Amino acid sequence: MAATRAQPSTREIFTTLEYGPVPESHACALAWLDTQDRHLGHYVNGKWLKPEHRNSVPCQDPITGENLASCLQAQAEDVAAAVEAARTAWENWSGLPGASRAQHLTRLAKMIQKHQRLLWTLESLVTGRAVREVRDRDIPLAQQLLQYHAVQAYTQEEALAGWEPMGVIGLILPPTFSFLEMMWRICPALAVGCTVVVLVSPASPTPLLLAQLAGELGSFPGILNVISGPVALGPILASQPGVQKVTFCGAVEEGRALRRTLAGQGAELGLALGAESLLVLTETADVDSAIEGVVDAVWSDRSAGGLRLLIQESVWDEVTRRLQERMGRLRVGRGLDGAVDMGARGAASHDLAHHYVREAVCQGAQVFQAGDVPTVSPFFPPTLVFDLPPASPCTQAEVPWPVVVASPFRTAKEALAVANGTPRGGSASVWSERLGLALELGYGLRVGTVWINAHGLGNAEVPTGGCKESGSCWHGGPDGLYEYLRPSGTPARLPCPPENLNYDTFGLAVTPTLPSGPETGPSPAAPYGLFIGGRFQAPGARSSRPVQDLQGTLHSYVAEGGAKDIRGAVEAAHQAAPGWVSQTPGARAALLWALAGALERREPALTSRLERHGVELKAAKVEVELSARRLRAWGARAQAQGHVLQVAEQRGPVLRLREPLGVLAIVCPDEWPLLAFVSLLAAALAHGNTVVLVPSGVCPIPALDICQDMAALLPAGLVNVVTGDRDHLTRCLALHQDVQALWYFGSAQGSQFVEWASAGNLKPVWVNRGRPRAWDQEAQGAGPELGLRAARTKALWLPMGD
Amino acid sequence: MSARNLGTELDLSWISKIQVNQPAVLRRAQQIQARRTVKKEWQAAWLLKAVTFIDLTTLSGDDTSSNVQRLCYKAKYPIREDLLKALNVHDKGITTAAVCVYPARVCDAVKALKAAGCAIPVASVATGFPAGQTHLKTRLEEIRLAVEDGATEIDVVINRALVLTGQWEALYDEIRQFRKACGAAHLKTILATGELGSLTNVYKASMIAMMAGSDFIKTSTGKETVNATFPVAVVMLRAIRDFFWKTGNKIGFKPAGGIRSAKESLAWLSLVKEELGAEWLTPALFRIGASTLLSDIERQIYHHVTGRYAAYHDLPMS
Repeated sequence: MAATRAQPSTREIFTTLEYGPVPESHACALAWLDTQDRHLGHYVNGKWLKPEHRNSVPCQDPITGENLASCLQAQAEDVAAAVEAARTAWENWSGLPGASRAQHLTRLAKMIQKHQRLLWTLESLVTGRAVREVRDRDIPLAQQLLQYHAVQAYTQEEALAGWEPMGVIGLILPPTFSFLEMMWRICPALAVGCTVVVLVSPASPTPLLLAQLAGELGSFPGILNVISGPVALGPILASQPGVQKVTFCGAVEEGRALRRTLAGQGAELGLALGAESLLVLTETADVDSAIEGVVDAVWSDRSAGGLRLLIQESVWDEVTRRLQERMGRLRVGRGLDGAVDMGARGAASHDLAHHYVREAVCQGAQVFQAGDVPTVSPFFPPTLVFDLPPASPCTQAEVPWPVVVASPFRTAKEALAVANGTPRGGSASVWSERLGLALELGYGLRVGTVWINAHGLGNAEVPTGGCKESGSCWHGGPDGLYEYLRPSGTPARLPCPPENLNYDTFGLAVTPTLPSGPETGPSPAAPYGLFIGGRFQAPGARSSRPVQDLQGTLHSYVAEGGAKDIRGAVEAAHQAAPGWVSQTPGARAALLWALAGALERREPALTSRLERHGVELKAAKVEVELSARRLRAWGARAQAQGHVLQVAEQRGPVLRLREPLGVLAIVCPDEWPLLAFVSLLAAALAHGNTVVLVPSGVCPIPALDICQDMAALLPAGLVNVVTGDRDHLTRCLALHQDVQALWYFGSAQGSQFVEWASAGNLKPVWVNRGRPRAWDQEAQGAGPELGLRAARTKALWLPMGD
Repeated sequence: MSARNLGTELDLSWISKIQVNQPAVLRRAQQIQARRTVKKEWQAAWLLKAVTFIDLTTLSGDDTSSNVQRLCYKAKYPIREDLLKALNVHDKGITTAAVCVYPARVCDAVKALKAAGCAIPVASVATGFPAGQTHLKTRLEEIRLAVEDGATEIDVVINRALVLTGQWEALYDEIRQFRKACGAAHLKTILATGELGSLTNVYKASMIAMMAGSDFIKTSTGKETVNATFPVAVVMLRAIRDFFWKTGNKIGFKPAGGIRSAKESLAWLSLVKEELGAEWLTPALFRIGASTLLSDIERQIYHHVTGRYAAYHDLPMS
């Protein structure tokens, strides 16, 4: 680095025209640390909390290793104190009119504006990221976030009627994430009336500073509390009374572990995992601009992860040549230098990248590194990895910062197959000047965000999230708000210690059933079999289970489905998925309406089945009628999906698309055997999902009746209904890696098992924890909550200009 | 100046597949200004270097021999001698790269520079500057006359109509003829990018101009509503790099019009360094067409040396 050499004179520089150091003074950051005597605690209830007898860890400059301060590690009592403060504050904060909350957030935005230099120097100092990125992007975005969410708070009573704030939110942040990740999540939470406890990894003082700035506004001190401690405190945070939801961002494996630990506990869990991104470079791209996209994605300190780069084979040589030449011009150095592209991220990130590159070389890859990089340890050069064999372990692993793994593809179809062939589903960009191709790829990629001919843009109004193993937690835009809301009237979640459930044996075996007397069911006899792939099939186990009526006498037998049947049903659903997704909303609506008509024609039979099950005639009639209405209502709603956003810094729209989850498994509740089944089915189908359903255990016959109509009306495999032992079927579905989402309405144990098992492919799950739902009520049976759960959002950025 | 660009045969395949994405180029142009800065000694050195890239220009209807003479003197002594001494660069022969005038003033400029005893080249605009809307014959004659008068660099404007209607062969032929008319004089081709309609056209026109044998490509006349902008420059520099990769010929780049502040000039230097590399930062390959930029650079140097901001009368006028 220039700084370590003897200072050259103007005369020498006149000849060499080299770059010099542009140090940004961090005196104010040090002065702020001095106000705490270089000893940071937690910031709780508007005050610094520095309990005695705690371990502390040093906060170091990642480049020089110099000790900047020591940070206390929280213990369980400190977590409890923070949650208690947040809970007290919540009572006041959630009751405020939205306008008052809006005002408070605006004041916080102004506070950040006033102290922005302190914020950006402190953040760059301790994280090692390029100060340019923090100053020119993060700080303005933080203010924009507060302002956007202030507006949302202002209009909350009107725009979000029917929803209420959840309560205390726990947020867990790992060390490699910037303070912006915290802003993305606390802003919507605070705006809708929740209060927050943030657990940051020790030695990240910027969140503490933010909490102090918020605290110094005076009013509402307890709404934002920051404690520093290890991720291991997460479960303790989640189990505190009052904590309604825990949001975690970080590594995939940590998220998976947390999902398992928190299964069956009171608080809901939102996961935002991984940081790898994807860039698809086609032969019709503006190659030089696309290469700048690669720089934006990994080598400009904007994102925390690496990049998977797919290059069309026909332009492979040209792209790699240009990319390598561009890499030579990158400058890496101290983050506080105003003229570097990329800083350093400390030893852990360095080692991760180093390890990955070494492994890749061992597995046969070529590595190219370039750039003006100091050779000392924490700095890692911009790295391009190519010729990595497709089946090698490194291809499957997440690419770390600052590595780019390039691989070729031949056609758009192949690009989609390769891109969608990973468990990650965060963000991607598509580079092509051909509109049709760009949109084809943009719609086809299974990720949360797609930028066309750009990479790494972000805006407070645009929902950002992911799918698959990237988690299903959203921030920004309307989706970010719903993360911290629940339908009004939903009971608060109480902390419940997870039951001592044996995950290995839950639902593993099915008790054999024997013939138990003559069937007394009415004629015509109910259809027998599992409804898979559009027809009734015999169960793989070739056995049946009895269904009793209210008096306990044998009513009839239904097929006993098992693991093999679930496998078949999921396969059939996958086969039907492409056809159903490509149907227009109008066509979906037409089919749902046709099904409603068929259901009405079947009314007498269905009514008598329900009566037999103990439902009063009048109520049974209402249930059938309401079921038909649900089908029509969701059919109508299928037409209104997604919308267009207009954001400040780009010309052109951002499309907020609502895409189906894919194969959705639904375990229906025992109660409301017809209505609940239809309500869930209709919402799922309207959003383009294909479904595997387990109908009510006590009264599965009405569901099977409708299957007869579905066999005639719907494409084969779109809806599959499997009867049998509910725990066993739940187990099979929850552990199935290719089931993309699961809704479970049943026992508390079942809910816990589903949550635990979902850690496998991190499928989004919706469970009722044994609580009944009023399916006949509009809000609970057909409310917007179902629509929200039945699809996932994708943001598609379409910058325009010529 | 460096070796001449002999040009190549017209090869339309070099421009047929090109794609320029305007929003992406806009973002790149914005970033480049934020990602590289120089301070202190580096800033002073870079600014002095910028002086050596300036084509000190006067293109006004009221130009006379007296103000052209003054301009030439300023070109020879762009920065106060005591300031150069303080920075220990007084023996580096710092002058502007050229003076640039209308054809009718070439004689005045040549005479003035001869009197001052320096070899700064005189550049003349030509070919119906700034609109280029005159007959080809008169445009060619204009070049010949300017060269006869002693101009060693000719800044020609292209016929925008040929670009907007996609007549690339005709454009190539015209510039070829300009090149021939220049003889030994260097040919700088002004693309008038503000009037070409799109960045894709800017790239194509750049490539055609280089194939036809231009020694420099220049952004604008300074008389259009849109002058030298970073997005346009990014596209032109990429074209220069592509041409270099294809032929091995280094073509020069000259932004002109609207560059007034020292800070902007630094951004232009780092833009060229980033897109093409430091080897392009020589007067043979990089020029800045400007008239008022020099005085701002001199003020900054004054501040760097003395620590004070200069009053207007502290620095000689140009």
